[in-house]
This record gives sequence, structure tokens and C-alpha cells, in this order.
Amino acid sequence: MDEQISRRNFFRNVGSAAIAGALAKVTAAAQSVDSLDGQKPVGPEPVKLILQVNGSKHQVEVEPRVTLLDVLRNRLQLTGAKEVCDRATCGACTVLVNGQPVYSCMKLAVEMQAQEITTIEGLGGPTNLTPIQRAFIECDALMCGFCTPGFVMSLSALFTAKQKPTLEEIKKACSGNLCRCGTYPHIFKAAQRVAEAGPS
Amino acid sequence: MGKDHLRYDGPAKVSGGAKYASDAQPGGWLYGMILRSPWPAARIRAIDLRPALSLPGIRAAVTANDPPFTVRYCGEELAAVAALSKQSGLDALRAIKVDADLLPFVVKEEAALRDTSPRVFENLPNAGEPREMQTGDVNSAFGTSYKTVEGFFQTQVQLHQCLETHGNTIQVTPEGITCWASTQGISSVRDSLVDSTGVPVDKVHVMSEFMGGGFGSKYGAGIEGGLAARLSKEAHLPVRLMLTRFDEALAVGNRPSSFQKVRLSANKDGTLVGYELEAFGTAGYASGGTTAGGGGGAGFPAPYIYRIPSTRVRQTTVAINAGSARAMRAPGHPQASFGMESILDEMALALGMDPVELRIKNDPSEIRRQQYKIAAERFGWNARYRFAASSEGPVKIGVGCAGATWGGGGHGSEAEVRINPDGSVEVRCGTQDLGTGTKTLIAIVAAEVFGLEPAAISVSIGDTTFPPSGGSGGSTTAASVAPAVFDACQSALADLTSASGISDPTGLNWRAATARLRINPVVARGRWKEGLSSRGVGGVQMAEVEVDAETGFVRVKRIVCVQDCGLVVNRLASISQINGGIIMGIGFALYEERILDDQTGIVLNPNFETYKLPGAADVPEIDVILQDMPERGVIGIGEPVTIPTAAAIANAVSNAIGKRVTRLPITPPRVLGLLGKLPGIQSTYKSGTG
Amino acid sequence: MQNFEYATARSVDGAIQSSTSESRFLAGGIDLLGEMKEYITSPKRIIDIKLIPDLDRIDTSTSIWKLGANVTIAEIAKNERILATLPSLAEAASEVGSPQIRNVATLGGNLAQHSRCWYYRHRDLRCLKRGGSTCYARDGENKYHSLFSGNPCISPVVSNLAVILAALNARVNVRRGDKEIGLTIGELYSDAWNNPLAHNSLLPGDLIAHVEIPTQKNRSTYLQVSEKDAFDWALVSCAVAGRNSGDQWADVSIFLGAVAPIPFRVESPLLERGDLSREAIESIAESVVSKATPMAHNGYKVPIAQVLIRRALARIVS
Repeated sequence: MDEQISRRNFFRNVGSAAIAGALAKVTAAAQSVDSLDGQKPVGPEPVKLILQVNGSKHQVEVEPRVTLLDVLRNRLQLTGAKEVCDRATCGACTVLVNGQPVYSCMKLAVEMQAQEITTIEGLGGPTNLTPIQRAFIECDALMCGFCTPGFVMSLSALFTAKQKPTLEEIKKACSGNLCRCGTYPHIFKAAQRVAEAGPS
Repeated sequence: MGKDHLRYDGPAKVSGGAKYASDAQPGGWLYGMILRSPWPAARIRAIDLRPALSLPGIRAAVTANDPPFTVRYCGEELAAVAALSKQSGLDALRAIKVDADLLPFVVKEEAALRDTSPRVFENLPNAGEPREMQTGDVNSAFGTSYKTVEGFFQTQVQLHQCLETHGNTIQVTPEGITCWASTQGISSVRDSLVDSTGVPVDKVHVMSEFMGGGFGSKYGAGIEGGLAARLSKEAHLPVRLMLTRFDEALAVGNRPSSFQKVRLSANKDGTLVGYELEAFGTAGYASGGTTAGGGGGAGFPAPYIYRIPSTRVRQTTVAINAGSARAMRAPGHPQASFGMESILDEMALALGMDPVELRIKNDPSEIRRQQYKIAAERFGWNARYRFAASSEGPVKIGVGCAGATWGGGGHGSEAEVRINPDGSVEVRCGTQDLGTGTKTLIAIVAAEVFGLEPAAISVSIGDTTFPPSGGSGGSTTAASVAPAVFDACQSALADLTSASGISDPTGLNWRAATARLRINPVVARGRWKEGLSSRGVGGVQMAEVEVDAETGFVRVKRIVCVQDCGLVVNRLASISQINGGIIMGIGFALYEERILDDQTGIVLNPNFETYKLPGAADVPEIDVILQDMPERGVIGIGEPVTIPTAAAIANAVSNAIGKRVTRLPITPPRVLGLLGKLPGIQSTYKSGTG
Repeated sequence: MQNFEYATARSVDGAIQSSTSESRFLAGGIDLLGEMKEYITSPKRIIDIKLIPDLDRIDTSTSIWKLGANVTIAEIAKNERILATLPSLAEAASEVGSPQIRNVATLGGNLAQHSRCWYYRHRDLRCLKRGGSTCYARDGENKYHSLFSGNPCISPVVSNLAVILAALNARVNVRRGDKEIGLTIGELYSDAWNNPLAHNSLLPGDLIAHVEIPTQKNRSTYLQVSEKDAFDWALVSCAVAGRNSGDQWADVSIFLGAVAPIPFRVESPLLERGDLSREAIESIAESVVSKATPMAHNGYKVPIAQVLIRRALARIVS
């Protein structure tokens, strides 16, 4: 067993080339975060960033204070992640970062380079739904639908980690997502259906 | 009909493709946002927008009102800006200079009732005129009855907390107004935009194909819609103005509180003979006035659902410096149910009578009497009901029950059906789907008439250019829309029959029949008619709870619900509504409470951290018996299902610990208070969260 | 949020050198960004410390474990060594927030997090802790506030990990300038007991580097009571840890969370003697009452604290 566990997998693609000790040029215009080292901050002017979302690279230019959620929804038009609380309390903004569910409202876009970001749009579209998406429809695990992308993301991560989660594990995976319409019982049913079906 | 049907818009919602008002991004759109009063009461002398307008990225700024004007609650609108980015807009709000004289304020109901209290409106007392009602002879009834019980019950202000906040994306051009709204009533949004802008109604186009929850709070364009329209006009660009979660706790409605002093008397055989209620509550600063959605003041039906020949009821609504109430899912009824069902259980104890038996004896509704019997059997009531506090060990088990009533019913609605030569069918209706499954319901009705699968029906809703339908409130949508769609489909079918020459074009004959249309589709309109819907449902719920008597923690183990709604159109969606209503009732019972600070007048919990909604871990086993009564027509189900839940849970907790729960939400501190476990401090009725 | 410069540190030295009187360190961001969105704090520079190598290691190779400040709460909750040897630590971690929060929140951030008092956190108020003149909680809505405090501010410590780490005699290694300072958990929070402006004893520019956890106490447990069953702050939490061989107990300590600005140590001569008989447990639990000064709405924390002490001690004894 590995006694020294590093969280390396959270920052998989931080290449040394990107952080080579070259001095970043400080200009009045936007700077690329790629060129910085520990001593040279960027901003507060807009910064050029490259974000990897759903397998594609996107270049955006935003101030450091802009959240990942804002960029996804309003720059990249990926409106599946919703702004409901903007305070890491409801899960409607949940995306996967390197496969892990995360509240995108509490992530700055500028800290998200070299991460693999997956949104609801990166799962299945309406014509090629994933098993959990299909189960949601079959079990009526949605009503107004506003919380639905967040739940689907949390449960997708669960099924990647574990093919047959128990009801307890399903509830725990959902514990960071709120639903005001009260679809929880059908959400559990949908997840249990996928668990029973096993690997697709 | 009456079967499980998959939600029509399921694929769009699970894949993130459903576009809500807050997703609309018409070209060049700006972020709108509102500056709100941080003071509970103030005279606004001046608002200087220039520092905001001088910031980069700000394209428009308006004041909500022309100073001088008075604000009467924390959160009341002062000004609004439209910006190129969210962050620059927030910078601009903070730059606006407001010159205000602070005024005295009051935020607790009991304090507001005192003569010495600050007045919310200078020229009016805080307490409105009481509404009084009497039947029979209460004094005689109390004088001659066998047993009398009394109690004082309180319920809290509850917030809608729709996940999608209130707001609109609005584009104002010389040609007219286009509005993507998060609303329960597209027509109401259109009407209020017409009112506030003067743009003619035929030039105002409102759309709401998807919306993220309403629960009664989303009618009209709101002050936010009016501000967005003005900003758009000034900036010559579309403006998306959605409220923040902080705003939602302040300014867009709530369920009024209730303080209920109640007396009940009965004969030895359990017949209820006398009832007296003195109650007050707050509907916010607009005490007793009409609130958006018709929520009215803090009054509620009393006595609730039971037959009592002599009653005396006196209710007052008291104003405080807080946001106005709005209709919230079954307005008045959850409060009414909690008070009535609690005092009824007190009577059951006093008489040594089974609570279910006592209810059946006094319930005038045959449907509900049957529901009690059905619920009792499914729940195992007789085996589970014990006299109070009988469990050993620190974890106490208890059971409770409660009943509900609701109107529902349909109103005028129209719909249009188009049958195309290729066999496809399109239905258009200017109604809304709040998550209630309206689109699916429409598809089911049309499919039923035409002998097709619901998936073959294309449904479009949420657009003011479609046949008008009215708002989605009062649990009336299904009962309004279904008959209208049914009528339109019958007309269309008749037209298809004569145009095709095929006497029965439905089902297997469909393609052959429609092919004969050649190039001209059949288009028919229909309207709601009497006879296909009706009013009046019941509903009974039973709850089993576990109370840790050492920590005060309450866990709901199981809810059994027996509910009628007339003709069940989509069983699956109806069960979802029932689950949802029960879970909202659990929130009312155990967690939710808007808390105001009486030193500063602010809302202390304008977030989900301390305004607590039920989460996945808080959901009990929910066992539903949905009664399908096709002969009664479509009635509606959204609201009745949230009415008796908290009352049943409160009765169950009382049964578990042997002390009467008198106040919601039933938090661990309150349970420990009932059990006499608080050190030193007397647990008298006291304003505050304790 | 106000705007700011953003810097990425690649070393602890680099982080400290980049820091200014108006900078804050960014790890998981849950606490910091939450404060910034309400304009409670508006640093001019944010220094991202997540990429500092080796700050995210869990070293269980000796009897004093070393957990880097950047270890996430999720890792603590699921790490097999921790689950096997210090399950109470994993338990405390698993109650923090939600899965999404645990995936990004870090050990250092959890210990250093700021007050959750709703007066402190309200954008339109400036309470005593923020340099104003009034602790609104004292005469106001104080159901979530401290039973014990050495100063006019009654905002309690809410870190679950602080409570269990206190019971485990953990030490926190802090870099202050070019010095390394070792603090007990008590010392990490002691300033908050006396100073209304303090959330803990860290000075601006201090960086928690790692936490050392001795593993001599072979029995420990963590319990909490909340209003909701998940994703909720503790009303009261309790951690108990001790060393036993058979019936002989030594080094038993009890700490309560959410009742004081610091993890509150429950002291008793019975504990010092290692007496954990039924009667002793009762007596220790009772003793909590005498020192508490309940406010108008938080008296309920006393019976809950007593119950948790009783249950936690019973659990390690069984």
C-alpha cells in the first residue's frame, strides 16, 4: 500500500513546461496564466485562460474574480449547470473536475486550467442518454428539472466509482444536491435501477 | 389515462438542454441586478446613480422609485443596473450612493401588536381589522360539553425557495417587448409589463417553456421585471435580471406565520360541539392587503375540515417591516391543519379515544372518512398507536395523523390542435409547466382522443401567442387544460372525420385518414367546458417518527398518504407531486423558518445554509395510495398533498414524547424544551428562535 | 467580489513571499470565496496554494502521522489507513459539508475557516468580530452560538476536525515568515478565546503546512448532533480519545465543538485518574453544566453536550 499518497490525480496535466521559470511579461493587456511562476500574479485585468470542457479546449478571457459557473453558462453557453445559490449549498452547479463532483460556483475560472471539466452537456444528449439519464426519465426523477443536471452529475460520478452502490451510498452521493420539488424518492429509484442493471 | 406516463420534456431536462428564463441569451444581453434596502424602515432622500454609471461596463441604471419615498422592509428595491458582466454590475450596485433617514421598525408579530410599537405605515395601526365569524352558540356549547381542551400553537414564516430564482430576460425594442419569464402565469407577466411600460398588449410577447419552480410566488413580472424592462429600454439591449438567493428570502413572498389560541369541546362520545379560535399572523408589511397570487393576509380556514356546530373565530393580520407574503402552496391550509389536528389529538387524549376514530366521527367528508380507514389499514395504525411516550430507551416512537381539503377545479382555458397530413399532431396552449407535468398531460389527453401514443404528440406551451390558459395556481392547471385540450381534439377529430371520409380515423386508421388531407392540415380550437372537471378533494396522511429524547432530534420514518384528485391523468407524475408535497411538508414540520433579527431588522438566514430544506438524507419511506375517481373528472393535486404532513408529524412527535408540540419547526432545541431539559431558562412563549 | 490579483505558489516559501497585508491563501475556496462574495473580506491578492508539492501527502510511516495541509477532507474520510486506525478522524471528516465540498476542502482550510455566525456573515452588518462595536448575537438570535467564551464575541468554532484533532493531541505545523511553529490545537485557537476579532491564533501570512497526529490513543470517537441528517453544521460536536489496556485508561480527553470559540476541553479529575466507570461517565457529563453561561436561545446545547459526552465515553469503553 502506498504510504505516501499524493493528490497528484487532481492536477493531472500540470506540465513543467507551463511553469518554467520564464519571467512573465507584465503588460497592461491581459496575461496568459501559462507563463506565470509563483512570484508573478495575474489580474486584476482579464486573463487569457484555456479551459478543457467536455473534451474540447476553450479560450476565454476573464477577470480572476469570475467563477467557473459564470464562464460555463454565460461565455460557453453551457447552461445545464444552474445558478441557484452561488454559495456551495445546493448542488445545482455541480460539474465534474477530473471526475469528481465539485460546486462550480465556488471555483474561480482562473484556477481551473489543466483540469478536465465535464458538464451535463458532456454526458449524453437527448438521443444518446446515459443509463442514469434514462433511468431518471423512466422513474420520473425530475419535475421542474432545475436541480436535475446537478443530481445527474453527482450520480454519474458515483456510478463511475461503483457499479452497484447501496441505497445508503446513493443517498450520500446525493447529499450535496437539493431538490425543492421533492423528487428524491424517484431519484433513489432511478439510481437503484441503474445499480441493479449493472454495467451497461 | 390513469397510467404511468413518461415526462414529455424528460430528455431535455436530463441532458441540460431545457432552456429556462435564466438561460436565455439574446444577442448583446446584459446582466441586470437590483440594489435593495439594507434597512427595515427608512425615508430615502436621494439616490445618486452617477458613480455607478461612470464605472466601466455599466450600460444603464434606474431608480426603483423617485425619492423621496419610504421603504418598509430590508430588501425593498432601491435601484437597478444593467452591466456587461456580473462582477461589474455588482461593483456598480456598491457605488450607488443612497441618502436615507432611518426610521423605527418592528419585526416581531407580538411586538407589532402593542400600542407602543413602531408603525409600519404611519397612518395605520399594524393590526388590521379582525375578521370574526360565529356559528351556533359557543358559550352554551362550552358550558354543556363533557370535555374542553385548549392550546396555543405557532407556525413560522416559510419561504417558497424555488430553485430557479424570480426574474426575466427582457428585450425592449421599438417593435415591442420580448420576455422570457420564470413564471406560473405568462398572461400575468404580459399584463403587468403592459401596465408598467404602456406597450400595447399585442406587442408584448412572453415565453416560459421551462421554469424552475413557483409554488405560488411567480405571478406578474414583478418589480424586477419592470426594472429589467426599463433597463433594456435605456440600454437598447436585452437584460437578464434574475434575483439572487439572498433576494429570494427578502422580497418575493412567503407563507404567513400563525399564532393560534384555540379551545375545543366535545361530548363524551367524541362528538365535537364547540370551537373557539383567536389567531393572528403576519403577511409582511402589506398587512392583510391583496398580495401577488391572491394570497391575502394571514387568515386561514377555521375550524379546519371538521364538523363543529358552534364556533367563534377571530383572526387578525398584523404588519411588520418584512417582505410581503404571497400565496404559497395551499395558502392558509398547513397552518390551519397544524392547529386543528393538534388540538384534536389533545381531545383524543382527554377522552381516551383513538385519534383516527375521533376524526372519522367528526369528518363530514365521506371521501376522507374512507381515506382514514384505508390509511389506517396500510399504516398499521391500530398496532402502532400507543399511548404517549411508551417506548423504552432514549429513542421514542410515535404516530400521528391529519387530514386535508382542497378545491382545485378548472377555469377557462383554450387550446389549439393541428393535425398534419403526415399524421403528426401539434397541440398549443398558453399554459405553464412548473414541473407539474403539464406538457405530458396535454400529450396524454390528445393521444387518448386520437388513439395514438403520447410520444406522437408535439406539445408547445408557455407562449402568449398561443391560446390563452390562465395561471398555474390553485391546483387548477390539469383541470383547466385537460378539458380544453380534450375539446379541441374532439373538434379536430370531427373535422378529420369529415375531411377524410373515414368514419373512425383514430388509432390504426390514423395515417390513412390524415393522408387524405393532402396539403391542408386540420386546425381546431377548443375551450374548457363544464363537466370534465370538478372541485373538492380530501387527503389523509399518517406519520411515524423516531425522537431521540436525549438530543431532541426527530427522524420521520414513514408517511402513508391516501389522496384523491378525481380522474388521474398521469399516475407517475401524480405520485411525484405527492412525494414533493409531503417533502415540502416535512420541511415545514422540522427545518424551515425565516428568521428576522429584531435589533437590525435583517433576515438572518437568506441562504440554504441556515434556511434548511429537506435533503436526500431527510426523506422517509413514503407510501402513497392514489385514488383514481374518473367519474369526478379532473380536479388537481399539487396543493392538498402538502397540507396535513406537518400536522401528522407534530402529532406523531407529541405521541412519542408525551408532550404537546405547539410550535413549528420542531427542532431539537424545541423538543428538549418540551421535555423540560433546558437549564434554568423558563420555556415560556418568547419571541426568538428558542 | 472585489477584483484581485491571482498568484499560484509553487512552494511554501513562494506562498509566504507573495503574501502581503492584503492577501489571502486559496485552497478549496469554500470559506474564502464565500466571504468574498459577501464582501466580508476583499483581499487584493489571492495566492493559490494548491499546487505546492508535497502539501497533500498523508504519511503514516511512523507512529506520528503527518497530514499535509492540502489533503482534502474527502481523502481523510476514505483513506484506508485512517479508517483502520483513526476511524474517528474519518468520521469527523465525513460529516463536513457535502461530497462536493469534501472533494475540494482541505485540512488546513477546515482548521483555519472563519466564523459562521450569521451576524458576522451578513453583508449589511459590521459586528464586533468585524471591527464594529456590537456583538449582535448576545442579545439576539443566538441558538447556534457559544455556551462559553472569554470575550464579548460568542461565535463558536465549527471545525469538526479541530475537535477530534484536539482530542488526539495533534500538533499543527505553521510557517510564519521563515520560522516553523508547532501549535497544539488549543494554541491554534487560543486567541479566539480572548480576542473578539480573532477566528484563531493565525496571523496574516501564516500558512498551515501540516498536522501531526500521534497514534498512541487507541480508542477515540467523534459524535455530533445537527438539525438535518446530512450537510449541516453541528449544533454540538464531541470528540473523545484515550489509551487503554484492558480496564486501565490513560490520557483520556474530551473536547466539545460549537460551544466555544475554541474546541472546549471538558476537564475532570475522574478523567485524569482514568476512571471511566458508569458513575464516572455520569459525573463527567454533569460537570459541563456548571461552567456554561447559556444565552437566551442556546441552553439546549448543555443537555446535548452532556448526552454526547456520555455516549462518546460509553462508545470508547465498550
